Amino acid sequence: MLGQGFVSAAAIAASVLFILSLGGLSNQEKAKRAVWYGIVGMGVAVFFTAFGPGIGGYGWLIPMVIIGAAAGTYLANKVEMTEMPQLVAALHSFVGLAAVFVAWSADLERRRVLAAQAADGVMQEFSAFAALVATKAPDELTFLQIEVVLGIFIGAVTFTGSVIAFGKLAGKVDGKPRQLPGGHLLNAGAAVLSLLLAVLYLNGAGFWTLILLAALAFFIGYHLIMGIGGADMPVVVSMLNSYSGWAAAAIGFTLSNDLLIVTGALVGSSGAILSYIMCKAMNRNFVNVILGGFGGSQGPAAEIEGEQVAIDASGVASALNDADSVVIVPGYGMAVAQAQSAVSDLVRKLRAAGKEVRFGIHPVAGRLPGHMNVLLAEAKVPYDIVLEMDEINDDFASTDVVIVIGSNDIVNPAAQEDPNSPIAGMPVLRVWEAKQVFICKRGQGTGYSGIENPLFYKENSRMFYGDARESLNTLLPLVD
Amino acid sequence: MRIGAPKEIAKGEARVALTPESAAQIQKLGHECLIETGAGLAAGFDDAAYLDAGVSVVESAEALWCEAEVVIKVREPTDAEAERLREGQTLISFFWPAQNEALLEKCRAQGATVMAMDMVPRISRAQKMDALSSMANIAGYRAVIEAGNNFGRFFTGQVTAAGKVPPAKVLVIGAGVAGLAAIGTATSLGAVVRAFDVRPEVSEQIESMGAEFLFLDFEDTQDGAESGGYASPSSPEFREKQLECFRAQAPDVDIVITTALIPGRPAPKLWLEDMVALMKPGSVVVDLAAEKGGNCDLTKPDERVVSDNGVVVVGYTDFPSRMATQASLLYATNIRHMLTDLTPEKDGVIAHDMEDDVIRGATVIHQGDITFPPPPPKVKAIAAAKPKKKEKEPTPEEKKAAELATFKAQTKRQVSMLAIGGALMLLLGQVAPASFMQHFIVFVLACFIGFQVIWKVSHSLHTPLMAVTNAISGIIILGAILQIGSGSAIVTLLAAVSVLIATINIVGGFLVTRRMLAMFQKS
Repeated sequence: MLGQGFVSAAAIAASVLFILSLGGLSNQEKAKRAVWYGIVGMGVAVFFTAFGPGIGGYGWLIPMVIIGAAAGTYLANKVEMTEMPQLVAALHSFVGLAAVFVAWSADLERRRVLAAQAADGVMQEFSAFAALVATKAPDELTFLQIEVVLGIFIGAVTFTGSVIAFGKLAGKVDGKPRQLPGGHLLNAGAAVLSLLLAVLYLNGAGFWTLILLAALAFFIGYHLIMGIGGADMPVVVSMLNSYSGWAAAAIGFTLSNDLLIVTGALVGSSGAILSYIMCKAMNRNFVNVILGGFGGSQGPAAEIEGEQVAIDASGVASALNDADSVVIVPGYGMAVAQAQSAVSDLVRKLRAAGKEVRFGIHPVAGRLPGHMNVLLAEAKVPYDIVLEMDEINDDFASTDVVIVIGSNDIVNPAAQEDPNSPIAGMPVLRVWEAKQVFICKRGQGTGYSGIENPLFYKENSRMFYGDARESLNTLLPLVD
Repeated sequence: MRIGAPKEIAKGEARVALTPESAAQIQKLGHECLIETGAGLAAGFDDAAYLDAGVSVVESAEALWCEAEVVIKVREPTDAEAERLREGQTLISFFWPAQNEALLEKCRAQGATVMAMDMVPRISRAQKMDALSSMANIAGYRAVIEAGNNFGRFFTGQVTAAGKVPPAKVLVIGAGVAGLAAIGTATSLGAVVRAFDVRPEVSEQIESMGAEFLFLDFEDTQDGAESGGYASPSSPEFREKQLECFRAQAPDVDIVITTALIPGRPAPKLWLEDMVALMKPGSVVVDLAAEKGGNCDLTKPDERVVSDNGVVVVGYTDFPSRMATQASLLYATNIRHMLTDLTPEKDGVIAHDMEDDVIRGATVIHQGDITFPPPPPKVKAIAAAKPKKKEKEPTPEEKKAAELATFKAQTKRQVSMLAIGGALMLLLGQVAPASFMQHFIVFVLACFIGFQVIWKVSHSLHTPLMAVTNAISGIIILGAILQIGSGSAIVTLLAAVSVLIATINIVGGFLVTRRMLAMFQKS
């Protein structure tokens, strides 16, 4: 058995390694090294804690770790890159559930220790956590109870929320916002009830309060995420990411474990920043996204003049052959149509012909922050031609051809031109400034948000209807 | 209907109103097309090309005027041609009804319907048949080419082994269609282009073509929207100001292209003799308004004159005709669009709808009556220009003050947030046990580090970031490990399940991150 000194040293080492691991993500090359810092940090933390003082139950621990590792490996190797959002959501749900279980266990241990102390009044030998509880003063125990409540509540919301997010992203649950009658009043009611239960629990009520509390939080997580539409998923997933961190931090307080607190705080703030970036990119505030629905518009949207003009593959090809600079703006539609490798082939061909080809990525394109980047990387598009919105927005005016593949709201000029538009003020990619814009789209009709897109009616826009992958594959042989 | 295009008989006119391409489109409307033999030769279309397009080639002008029910032309008819018109026949051509009253009366007497291509109203729907614009576009282009032909230097600046070449400086006066085309052509040749127009609202268009707008600081500038997008005469004070501005430009510019026209009036004199005298020898003035008397004092229509100080003044009036192929293609397309509007059913029957703004505007004689001038169109040409807001440059003092104010506001916000946070901590410290506060310090510091570190993460790596934070949030496994050795069976069970799912999280999260990061390749 390793002494407490070893465990503390390991916790410090692991904290530093985790920080380095996150910091390394500032650049693609450093990131490849940084992920190893994370792996080593985790290995150190688990090993030294598992073989620290007072730990037992190896008969359970080791098989569980082996099974879990096998399952994790299988999952990581099998997942398609288009399924990343689902995977991330699913993994969040695990953290949430584990937090609920650990918090429940903590309370059970507390009750067991108190019962034992009341029974014989002498200190008896307890294992790791129970031993710690036994040494706590009454006011510390009260705080422990508060932390347990927080851990359960956040963990449970994270769990059901992530399960629903997973379902929506995987297409197993309808992507449209759905709520039970009563809407957010139900959520508010459940929250008030939870608070009541928490007060009861703190005043000595039985374990049933914690089970009921978890059930209510499960409901809130479920109902909250059901009410949010598919395109807002980037915010939801980052928010759940944040919650899973805070849940871990709350558990860390319960168990008086600094490593858990540090890691939980890192993850929590990471998710919070991601949510903030996503909300900013949609010019909406966090509450507005989470409570669902678009903000109130001040008047009727401006009428759109003109017509959508369709074009066939040969027309697009001849424009591409004449162009010197091309920008491709992908969106969730590209992921749905699995068109990323067709896009990559097109890019390779155009670049081989000496044309400048770049990608413009809006922060909320796709269903996960950075989703498009990963898809393009998978299709072997070099990352240095994949640019962020702010990097490329001023270049559209000097671009010959823009191809919009499966994105809609993020290229909607109404966001800047029509103050009555529901998305007014949202920063968008100004593709319409280019000489020609081709929009690869399944058919007429509005996108997720149901907002008309004046871009499609502009004089320099042409609609390239059809499934994105098939359209690009018919386009490919025509480009020289 | 039989649509026929005779050979243009005006001297030097090389354009033709029907091309093989437009004929194919007109035939799709159900019409038949005729052309006089040799009519397209000067524009580069021989009779064989017309025959291939299904056009009947007619031997003489007389036969053509006889057979055709609709005659399409470029120039207004000569007296001889007007006499050939007959009742029920329609003539579509440039006509200039305001200047050709006698001709108008003559055609009316013949009983024909006449549509003037120069009277097509300037509304968006009619742009496709706006022959004035398509011809002006060609004139603007050609003006730059003619200027280059007469100019002894490069347009573009170059640094060569044999020395440095400064770019040519071009001044374009009047930013109508011709002016804008000239600006576009000159900038794409590499010249430094400035442009002037009396309508301040066109400054945006000028700048979008890559030229600098010479801004005249004058109160009462006119609004082009009122006059259908055309310029109108300006006040004497304004004119003085304007000439002053040009006089200042004269010694500096190498090429001047003037395109200033006021509908129904002689061209305003804008480039005076003394300005020509100020110009450098070898400079070129191209006057696109020569036909209407010219903007330049020295202009002689259809001639190239050289001033005493060696400035070339080009006064050609046939710029579109000098590019006959291009001009014919565009003009024939304009005519074709007009015929499309006249044949709404595409059944070869012309329905002359006098309720239609465009057709009404273009028609100058109909059913034996002179219908010129037309009533104003129901749709206004251009939306009234919004008054341009003058953005005042903030003075350095104002800038400083603004910066100071934002700095103060920021400080105020930060300090008040720190104060609130501090007070909350103090309250918490009053009730919480010491051991909790120790952990809380760790928590707050970790949050700060998290915020600092995460802001630096590249946007393109946000998905790997989520996956890796996912993996490390599996640290919750520590909690389960601490509990798994408990004496209570239920706690052991809960902890075991937690260990299982947290391990999936850790291993799955790290491996998938590694997989993703490996995919990011530099080109």
